Amino acid sequence: MDANEFDRLLKVCRISLNHDEKDRIINDIEEIIKYFNTLNEFETGNTSESYHAIRIPERLRQDKVEAFQNTNGILKNTKTYRFYVVGPKI
Amino acid sequence: MSSSIKEFQSKEKPEGYYKKLVNGLSEVNKQLGAFLNINETIKDGFPFSVKDNLCVRDVETKAGSEILSGYIPPFNATCVERLSSSKFSFLGKTSMDEFGFGSFGLNTMCVAKNPFNTAYVAGGSSSGAAVATSILKYHVALAESTGGSISNPAAFCGVVGFTPTYGAISRYGLVDYANSLDKIGIMARSSEDIRTVFDIVKGPDSYDSTCVGIKFTNVNNKKIFLIKQLLDATDEKVRSEFDKLVSKIREMGYSVEEKSLEFIEKAIPAYYIISMAEASTNLAKYNGYKYGFKNENFSEEYNRFFTESRSKFGVEAKRRVVLGTFVRSASVKEKYYRKALKVRSLLIREIGKLLKNGFILTPTMPITTPKIEKAVSLTPVEAYRMDILTIPPSICGFPHVSFPYSYPNGMPLGAQIISDHFNDYALLDFVKSWETSFRYKFKYNIGDIR
Repeated sequence: MDANEFDRLLKVCRISLNHDEKDRIINDIEEIIKYFNTLNEFETGNTSESYHAIRIPERLRQDKVEAFQNTNGILKNTKTYRFYVVGPKI
Repeated sequence: MSSSIKEFQSKEKPEGYYKKLVNGLSEVNKQLGAFLNINETIKDGFPFSVKDNLCVRDVETKAGSEILSGYIPPFNATCVERLSSSKFSFLGKTSMDEFGFGSFGLNTMCVAKNPFNTAYVAGGSSSGAAVATSILKYHVALAESTGGSISNPAAFCGVVGFTPTYGAISRYGLVDYANSLDKIGIMARSSEDIRTVFDIVKGPDSYDSTCVGIKFTNVNNKKIFLIKQLLDATDEKVRSEFDKLVSKIREMGYSVEEKSLEFIEKAIPAYYIISMAEASTNLAKYNGYKYGFKNENFSEEYNRFFTESRSKFGVEAKRRVVLGTFVRSASVKEKYYRKALKVRSLLIREIGKLLKNGFILTPTMPITTPKIEKAVSLTPVEAYRMDILTIPPSICGFPHVSFPYSYPNGMPLGAQIISDHFNDYALLDFVKSWETSFRYKFKYNIGDIR
């Protein structure tokens, strides 16, 4: 992975690294990707993909509104203004 | 080994018992760093600890990360709720690697140390849970494993660590690492205590659609499989102790057969690709204005605000977010992410064939407990390779139990027994029969009642 590609990836991830972290992580990532590449030495043919280890039965909840009693408890973890959560500009 | 829960319930507690327990624990915790906080108001019930990535109402829950500092959940995780409603009392939150990212308990602000010798690691990522179980006479720990985070520290700290089948225990209230791999489990000093807790916390939950209500089996064919490639990956010292264990298992009436699974080592890169891909999306919710750390620069442009907030992640978390985002990129997704999912299918199929006819037995870790200074010096790939024995059952969602079986040079060694999906009780019965002829050792017995 070249430096430009790495910088593009950091931008996509919204991760900023200081100089030391960048040096350290880019070297680690090279080594890890090389290790990940060993997976491609192995032929998987037409095997299907397993998104879960077990079969998850389709079990949807009823589409009905349930009142959550502790809304103040949730808002306690945010900065609020007149019962609205304050966030950054978009 | 008998049930300490039954023993505790049958004993009369001396006056001031819980106060003395908290004081004794607080003192030892200064050296070992198992607990992040201790509930000083505990006054009845059997004590249980909770790994820091499980929500406990009105108790700070950080999952070992600075970015969650100050987060106070307004609800209990389902497993915490069920245990609290059954004569168990919350004792405190236990330390862990940040979001579960680590095998040695070192990727965190509060490093737990091995109770047998503080120069050695406690393992990870449920480091504090294992230390707590090793030092407290009457206690069980709720822990969590993604790729071996229960077995690994249980082995290094000499306790029993149970990771159930994926989907057996609700994940509601867990700070997610990788949803398709995360499993809530239990650590205790005996299989009996684990069984008692498992009976309470398992079962369907309307808040977690992956928590399935499948009936458990209890099949034991008295057959043990050893996997050649996994034994080859262990160091000589571990191998020679493990061979002695295999002889004892034969004496217990089991037939033992060695099998070869050529591609089992591919479980490691497949696991890390899947787990990092899932972690990179899960961690996107920590944006600086919900949960824990608050960025007050609301006038900042959104992307800059978000990026600035995420500087609170530790190095390993940043590394995994970057790699997880990379393996999901459109240009390489087929090569890494989808390939890893196919490898998982093959592993489930091939390992599953063996487990239809018996258990698989392996050492829990390929090395003896390392010193902290040695573990710190490992490169990421060297550290990931240490998970060779715990990843195969973890990526496949097979239940597994790590139990102590030897103490060379005064440090515990653990072995891991693996079974087929939902055959969890057969594993607990196996460990129970092991415990009838082998006595576990502990250096501390805080809370003992004489």
